[in-house]
Amino acid sequence: MGVVKLDAYVLIVRGKDALKLINGLSTNKVEASCSTVFTTNAAKIIDMASVIVTDDCIALVGHNPYKEDLLAHISQKILNQDITIGDATASNNVYLSTTEITPPGSVTISHTFRGWLMVAPTSVEITTNMSQSEFDDYRVENMIPMQGFEITPKNHPLACGLGHLVHESKGCYLGQEVLARMRSRGKQGKELVRLPNPVENATTVGKKNSLVIQRVKNN
Amino acid sequence: MDCNTCDTAPAVVINKPDVVDVDLTITEKAKEMLSSAFGDDMSHSLLVGVLSGGCSGYMYDLQIVESTDQDCQVVEIDGFKVLVPNATSHLLDGIEIDYIDRLMGGGFKINNPNASSSCGCGESFS
Repeated sequence: MGVVKLDAYVLIVRGKDALKLINGLSTNKVEASCSTVFTTNAAKIIDMASVIVTDDCIALVGHNPYKEDLLAHISQKILNQDITIGDATASNNVYLSTTEITPPGSVTISHTFRGWLMVAPTSVEITTNMSQSEFDDYRVENMIPMQGFEITPKNHPLACGLGHLVHESKGCYLGQEVLARMRSRGKQGKELVRLPNPVENATTVGKKNSLVIQRVKNN
Repeated sequence: MDCNTCDTAPAVVINKPDVVDVDLTITEKAKEMLSSAFGDDMSHSLLVGVLSGGCSGYMYDLQIVESTDQDCQVVEIDGFKVLVPNATSHLLDGIEIDYIDRLMGGGFKINNPNASSSCGCGESFS
């Protein structure tokens, strides 16, 4: 497989309350580097972000078109905590490798469910060698949802294949009541499935199969 | 990620809401409970704050304190001193502090006209 460049933002969050704030506003138990989903009260997705915890800061890497909505959401919730946010999007490029590679030292690499996420300063060249259709096919075959395709503000995390990022026992977070109710009652409404082509209303079309979000049968 | 570039990353401006002069009320039942909590020592204050978190985004934070290092406004009602942090005053203007006397889910309760929804346990709101 290979490496693709993502349309991603890089937010640098600092302060002693940073991890606690991210944990309280998202679905996964955020204690170290991980992926998590920021949701509204109604459990609709604001964005899925990779949280990369380094020695002196936390980087939030998400989908660039969703950045402003996420920032507006987080900003409202910062009351008197010790938190600052910097926007390092312009000075970094974000890549995803489908296989483990060793990038130059100034590149931060984090293993996520989508592959190896790399945040590289713009001065560092990383060669991309995967076309969009190859990446789509990789996602279809591995059931990997992506922002703008499956991960959208219209969906909740359980509907678009992000159930593994919804922690079952972490306690309260925004959207938790809705997601917990769906799980406990076994009624999540929709789910992400892979079907052989041709697929009506496909969210991502692959060579042989496609991804689609459809109503759960017997739900 | 080059941490040098992170250090110089432009700061995201976090808009701080305007400080509001808080108007609040305390029900008779809540006053009774505060009286028994304070005892004869009325030098203590009830700190009514808001933390981010909970199922609905914000959580109430009630504490009986001697003093606080938070920047607060003081509202005095019938001898009870209530401290409201300025940083959260916009979320607390117009609240009623009540006390619910029941076996499950009892205790102080905040009725907040600024809350559009609250979670099942009533501790968090949005």
